[in-house]
Amino acid sequence: MAFDRKIFTDIHMVLLISFFTSLILIVRNFVFLIFSPYKTLRKISFEKDYYQPLTIFIGVFLYFKFVYFLRDKPYPATFIFLIFVINFFLTIIFFYFLTRFFDSDQNEKRITFFSFIFTFSYSLFPTLIWFLSTSILYVFLPPPRTISLLGKAFSIFFVAFSLSLLVWKLILFYLSVRFSSKQNFYRILYMIILYLVWFIPYSIFLYYLKIFRIPFI
Amino acid sequence: MKTFEYRIHKKIQEIYSVEPNDLGLGILTNYYKRFTAYLKTLPFIFIIPLSFVFAFVLYFLFGKLMVRLVTILQYGF
Repeated sequence: MAFDRKIFTDIHMVLLISFFTSLILIVRNFVFLIFSPYKTLRKISFEKDYYQPLTIFIGVFLYFKFVYFLRDKPYPATFIFLIFVINFFLTIIFFYFLTRFFDSDQNEKRITFFSFIFTFSYSLFPTLIWFLSTSILYVFLPPPRTISLLGKAFSIFFVAFSLSLLVWKLILFYLSVRFSSKQNFYRILYMIILYLVWFIPYSIFLYYLKIFRIPFI
Repeated sequence: MKTFEYRIHKKIQEIYSVEPNDLGLGILTNYYKRFTAYLKTLPFIFIIPLSFVFAFVLYFLFGKLMVRLVTILQYGF
């Protein structure tokens, strides 16, 4: 009995240590994604520590739990998180199978499904930052904005902030597809256009269902 | 203990994991490499000032409509 209890405690300790190690690596990668996104995402595409995307997903879940208290007549946070997970895996599966369809047999071994999970998880950072900051601003500076001097100044700042995060997101998204699929520029552009062909109507459908006003991807 | 040669080998494998982009035309490839060089390292040095410039231009073009856009975006989460 004492021996079983020891094994149980040891497993818990290992899980805790793995979780905290992954958290430190996530923070490190996050900082490097700001300073050198190209080299960092290239390295991330070779990662095998599955606690990292799991930790990022826990962060996203905590965000949805936080936002549940701010929204008017919201769906349950777990339901929204489930929809997010479905969207995430639909995106990854789409790009993965499109890559396998385009690619020759030579590169088959180099392209892995888990590489897509890692790179696309890390490309969630700009999305998470924007949604979190907008939620916090909703508490401290609730809309509507006025046409006073402060209102205009804030509007300019908010648009610049949103644009910066959008450009960062586009960079990380392109690099995620580039390093996970290992395709050239034209093929990546073509894959992104094919992705938008179904993703835009799908996002509009989710908007009408009042699940996501702006796509969380 | 990982040797220096092992680490170099891993680094080279990582660097050559993707082929360099070739846009077909030399001039296109040249402009692509020049443009992406700014985005590969410290992109925010260019992104943040350009975003502010673009935001100011949007404000001068659309004025009150931009304030309304921000109101809509603030409900976007």
